Amino acid sequence: MTDPLSKQATATDIARAVMSAKVKAAAVIEATLTRIETSEPTVNAFTDVLAERARRRAAEIDAGTHRGPLAGVPFAVKNLFDIKGLPTRAGSKINVDGPKAQRDGSLIRKLEAAGAILVGGLNMGEYAYDFTGENAHYGPSRNPHDTTRMTGGSSGGSGASVAAGEVPLSLGSDTNGSIRVPSSLCGLFGLKPTYGRLSRAGSFPFVDALDHVGPIARSVEDLALSFDAMQGWDPDDPVCTDRPADPTAPVLNEGIGGLRIAVAGDYFAKGGEPEAFEAVATVAKALDATRTIVIPQAAVARSAAYIITAIEGGQLHLPRLRTRPQDFDPDTRERLMAGALLPGSWYVKAQRFRRHYRAAVQKLFKEVDIILAPATPCTAPKLGQVMMKLGGVELPVRANLGLFTQPISFIGLPVVAVPLHKPGGMPIGVQVIANHYNEAAALRVARHLEKQGVASAPAA
Amino acid sequence: MADEKPDVGTLVDEAAKAIGLPIAPQYRANVIVNYERSMLIAKPLLEVEVDDELTSAPVFRP
Repeated sequence: MTDPLSKQATATDIARAVMSAKVKAAAVIEATLTRIETSEPTVNAFTDVLAERARRRAAEIDAGTHRGPLAGVPFAVKNLFDIKGLPTRAGSKINVDGPKAQRDGSLIRKLEAAGAILVGGLNMGEYAYDFTGENAHYGPSRNPHDTTRMTGGSSGGSGASVAAGEVPLSLGSDTNGSIRVPSSLCGLFGLKPTYGRLSRAGSFPFVDALDHVGPIARSVEDLALSFDAMQGWDPDDPVCTDRPADPTAPVLNEGIGGLRIAVAGDYFAKGGEPEAFEAVATVAKALDATRTIVIPQAAVARSAAYIITAIEGGQLHLPRLRTRPQDFDPDTRERLMAGALLPGSWYVKAQRFRRHYRAAVQKLFKEVDIILAPATPCTAPKLGQVMMKLGGVELPVRANLGLFTQPISFIGLPVVAVPLHKPGGMPIGVQVIANHYNEAAALRVARHLEKQGVASAPAA
Repeated sequence: MADEKPDVGTLVDEAAKAIGLPIAPQYRANVIVNYERSMLIAKPLLEVEVDDELTSAPVFRP
């Protein structure tokens, strides 16, 4: 077993060691705080470190008052989650002047009820309208595998903190790809669950119609354990499902027997760099997946997701755009302003198309259980890079890093991003996509790939 | 969709007035760039036909 005090320790390693009294939660927290102090000057993942709160909590765990499947596991959250006593930044300067959160967000409470220990809030793209992990107010989060490169966003700190080995587990949000993009660029496992599966209560919204929340980790078992701890109906989020929780950890090691797996062709097989498609081919080969299927109208889905995002985001921030435009990140401001001006008829059409597209994709899941697709069209671009070449075409980085994630989250399908590391190269991820509420199948596939050594997520 | 291209500068100015959003001169050009980018990305959606019976799926529960 990995030393539970080392940066390579997974949440599972730590919880086992704490539960069996091989290590004190207090020691885990001290090692974590030391690593954060050492790494932060280079990766800039954290905006808030909660040292005293974490030490108090560790003392409670060590006193035996809060045992659970995640006992003593340090975790950190994208700073759009409410943290009691802090303003909920959501990557902005403006929100810092707002009220302090009265209590922790729903998922923080659930993870802490399972024994985990919150150690801080994480950097992110302003108001989550971002695929890069850059932020004009707090500086960019930096990719631990090459600190001159982007983490991907908007959950940039959630990727950087786990890839740097500061914490084994983080929470992010994903509206169009913001868990899957940093997971891919930072070489991590990330779970974007089914839309509505996990409660968003106590998190700052971006696009209500598309916002998801979920975990990022360095092992599939950590995703499953944390996901299981966070499941369950929450009346404070009107989108949260009232379906019973569907534990995934017990079935994680069942293998891929009986799962029909196909590769997404057409839209998902072009418009990216060769490494994106090589990664999909490697995963498909390891899974013996020879079938290719076409997700119909994926380009229209991407278009509709973009329009819903622009209009809902612009409308949400309209009061602040009127009164404090100078306090926005310049990379966010004019996109939100433009979104606020787009025709309402476009929004309604996008929502109507969403239902049509959902029905069409549901049909595909009668024939297959898992669909594979690239997570990002390329490995991590350089920090500050504005344009990139994809399939020979020069395109803006910001609008295109989520090219392959947007058509999937648009209809709320669950996805596990699985990372592939090449010696001497930057990591890149593959989306393992399952039918609604079948996170278990995607996690089983990810676990199989991890066991085979095809996918892995070592700390940098 | 009509082939005639709108004057996006005027469109942005007038729509901003209609919703009470002051756009400072230093932001205006980039708002126009972003509006034009949205028009381009919206194209596949605007070109597709949807049946009259196809309603959206709101989550509002009374």
